[in-house]
Amino acid sequence: MASMINQDEAMQLAAELEVEMMADMYNRMTSACQKKCIPPKYKEADLSKGESVCLDRCVAKYLEIHDRLGKKLTEMSMQDQEVMKKMQQQQQPAT
Amino acid sequence: MVKMGEGGDTGSGQGRQNLQPMGQDFGRLTQLVIGEQRSHQLVPPATPFGAQQAVRTREELLIQNTMESCGFKTVFACAAGFVLGGAFGLFTAGLDPNLGFDPVKHGADYQPSAREVLREMATRGKSYAKNFAAIGAMFAGTECIIESYRGVSDWKNGTMSGCVVGGAIGMRAGVKPGLLGCAGFAAFSSAIDYFLR
Repeated sequence: MASMINQDEAMQLAAELEVEMMADMYNRMTSACQKKCIPPKYKEADLSKGESVCLDRCVAKYLEIHDRLGKKLTEMSMQDQEVMKKMQQQQQPAT
Repeated sequence: MVKMGEGGDTGSGQGRQNLQPMGQDFGRLTQLVIGEQRSHQLVPPATPFGAQQAVRTREELLIQNTMESCGFKTVFACAAGFVLGGAFGLFTAGLDPNLGFDPVKHGADYQPSAREVLREMATRGKSYAKNFAAIGAMFAGTECIIESYRGVSDWKNGTMSGCVVGGAIGMRAGVKPGLLGCAGFAAFSSAIDYFLR
């Protein structure tokens, strides 16, 4: 089965998706880690030691989860594709 | 955005048939975007994401990390405690009428010479300085460690580290003085924190 979109368009699409995804992830990460680590009552502008430690941990965990989920999702989507390919091959000889 | 193509038929109801099948493109795209073939790791936040702070040089970051580290804080508290203790000792030596002169050996109306007075002051200053330095270092160290472990900055860090230090000091005389020391030092530390913040 021929590819729907050629390589250039695929790269461009991937770049656009990636930028959008990174922006979304960044925003979610900052709001989640701020909600978790920084209490709403501000005493001073600088980050204290506890807060910076908490932020380090939060960001590290968030990025690691992002990586792992990405890998898992690609695995699952590749499996889906295999299944669909097999189904199409089975149907074509039948017709 | 390019319209997602439709290939094949959505056919029988097995598994996730809600996906519009894109043939082999979807897997490739996911690989390019979030899989192993993506072009780079997370970019440093550029203008679209909003870099709120100017990018700092390596030396600035190094200095800042050092100043915030637990070891530096402990050493700094030790040095500050030493200076403060020395000053305090010298000061109280001036107030103390006895100043460590043995009444049996010298008699009640003994007038010490200036050299002896100075020596007494120095001894007392050193002893106070060492005590203050040790206590300050222990307090700063434990507070920093507790704060790093909990990841939270609130009043409990000072209280907990006060209990640890007071307990450590008092434990040398027994369990009950240890508990008393813990409670007392924790209360003292909480009071100081309350007035400083």
